[in-house]
Amino acid sequence: MRELAEGPTRVGVTRTLARWNRELQTVHSPILRYGFCILGIAIALGLALIFQYYELQDAELPVFTVAIALVTWYAGIGPSVLAVVLAWGCFNYFFAQPLYTFEISRADLPYSVVFVVWAIVVARFAAVRRRIENSLRQIRDTQANLLNLAHDSIFVRDMQNIITYWNRGAEEFYGWTAAEVVGKAATHQLLQTVFPAPVDEIDAELLRTGRWEGELVHIKADGTQAVVASRWSLRRDEQQRPEAILELNNDITELKREQASLHKQRAAELEAANKELESFAYTVSHDLRAPLRHVVGYSELLQKQASSSLDDKSHRYMRTIVESAKRMGNLIDDLLAFSRIGRAETKATAVDLQQLVKESIAEIKQDTKGRDIAWKIGALPVCHGDRPMLKLVVVNLVSNAVKFTRMRTPAEVEIGCVNGNKNDEIEVFVRDNGAGFDMQYVDKLFGVFQRLHLPEQFEGTGIGLATVQRIIHRHGGRVRAEGAVDHGATFYFSLPETQDTAARTANTP
Amino acid sequence: MTTLGRILIVEDDPNDVELTLTALGDYNLANEVVVTRDGQQALDYLYRRGEFSTRSMDNPAVMLLDLKLPKVSGLEVLQQIKSDERLKTMPVVVLTSSNEEKDMMRSYRLGVNAYVVKPVDFHEFVNAVKELGVFWAVINEPPPGSVKK
Repeated sequence: MRELAEGPTRVGVTRTLARWNRELQTVHSPILRYGFCILGIAIALGLALIFQYYELQDAELPVFTVAIALVTWYAGIGPSVLAVVLAWGCFNYFFAQPLYTFEISRADLPYSVVFVVWAIVVARFAAVRRRIENSLRQIRDTQANLLNLAHDSIFVRDMQNIITYWNRGAEEFYGWTAAEVVGKAATHQLLQTVFPAPVDEIDAELLRTGRWEGELVHIKADGTQAVVASRWSLRRDEQQRPEAILELNNDITELKREQASLHKQRAAELEAANKELESFAYTVSHDLRAPLRHVVGYSELLQKQASSSLDDKSHRYMRTIVESAKRMGNLIDDLLAFSRIGRAETKATAVDLQQLVKESIAEIKQDTKGRDIAWKIGALPVCHGDRPMLKLVVVNLVSNAVKFTRMRTPAEVEIGCVNGNKNDEIEVFVRDNGAGFDMQYVDKLFGVFQRLHLPEQFEGTGIGLATVQRIIHRHGGRVRAEGAVDHGATFYFSLPETQDTAARTANTP
Repeated sequence: MTTLGRILIVEDDPNDVELTLTALGDYNLANEVVVTRDGQQALDYLYRRGEFSTRSMDNPAVMLLDLKLPKVSGLEVLQQIKSDERLKTMPVVVLTSSNEEKDMMRSYRLGVNAYVVKPVDFHEFVNAVKELGVFWAVINEPPPGSVKK
């Protein structure tokens, strides 16, 4: 066991006096109690005689009164009565005229009566005080016992961190008895407390709000480490000065351990599931594509081989077979790309959206030759995120805009940043004057393979917006859309502007 | 002077074999093609074991290797070849359906000479195989010890 820290001497002296006081008051042996009474009165008599010898007039009354009060105080009601009788006797014999007899002269009779009455009054008050103190002690003991019933470790420490109360729960949990630590040990040194925050901050909060709670790491007497959920309450005295701190500690070591192992287990399960998904995606990518290649390959071979003997209808059938197979190939590729976004690791850097949009449009423009498109590009900020992924978002949204404005001359595509948004968010929009959509289907817009148009009208696999949504969600942002049939559509995506985007991105599944 | 190298194809899918041979046939590249159907057979061929124990000593001008193969996978075959002093100079082209970045990275780390994803479109597929055949079996000078016709 480690050495206990030495408490301050002043506190020790006060405590020792209090213990004597308590021990004297709880003596039960009649011999000791009546002995104390006789001894007390004898000492008082001695003192009074000494005072009389030095001709100090009327000193006997206060001396005897003090003796009676002390006897009543410490020895109880029986010795108190005896003390009054003895004191009166002594008074009569030694101090009231005629001296050295128990007779009382007429002149001294009032004095004698006053003495007796005074002695009784003092005894009475002392008895009342004794009773009150006893019941107070009982209440305190009961409360202390109640605290001892608690499983939790409860202790009180003063503002110098010296332990002033230590319940049985604390004795059992930490392995030090109350006798070993109360008044002797400084809490944080004893328990080698590890705080979750700087101690100054914790103290400041405690002084400000009167409370603090958090998780602490303590070292027990046997050297083992424990994690506790700790709650502190500050007690103030009548002048509102901080006086003591009640600390209630709940052992959560096991809980923490279980949480950690559960966490580990979860992570392992997740990894296994991810592996499975990866191998599934691999199988899809490899095995599903091979038959498609064969369908296309053999159809074309057949077309070549039997070109002369096939009529127009058969040629169309062959073309449809080939086109459908190709379309399925595209679907598989898109689906794989989509699933890869969910699994891929993201690397967050500062991304200049203005530059990103410029690059995306340059890419798309290769497919828009011969079209009249009015581009309108507003000022765009720098954001934090995974550049290739964010580029995919912009390319998807802009090519959508280009695709759905095919029948417009001129087509209008506007890209910009929504102003007046909350400070910690960047919201970018892509607006077009194209086919638009019915707002009642807005929820379906971002779903995988959800399409709001017929394939003859607009080609596509229905994965573009789902990809956009997945990427933005991985960045901790949101997507939304507005539109009306034949009146164009506006797609918005928002990104958090904070620096911790990177950290959040890495953890979002 | 145009010389023609031998092409070793490792492909388990009979349809892919036929389509590949058809594509090569268009350029009259098919006459010196050896087809093996799994990784084990491919290694047997290269090490002149079993049914291939009587083949001539020289290495093929190029090997077209699928990754997903029965018994011994394409990556294992590749690893074996590139860690063998006598075989590591032989050009190896991975011809696969997989466009997974992981497969690509592992192939290149093992020292593959080219990585080609089989296109779904037949014309593209035919063109890819033809160009591969022409490049590796005709244009490219194979390391000494490879067969030339």
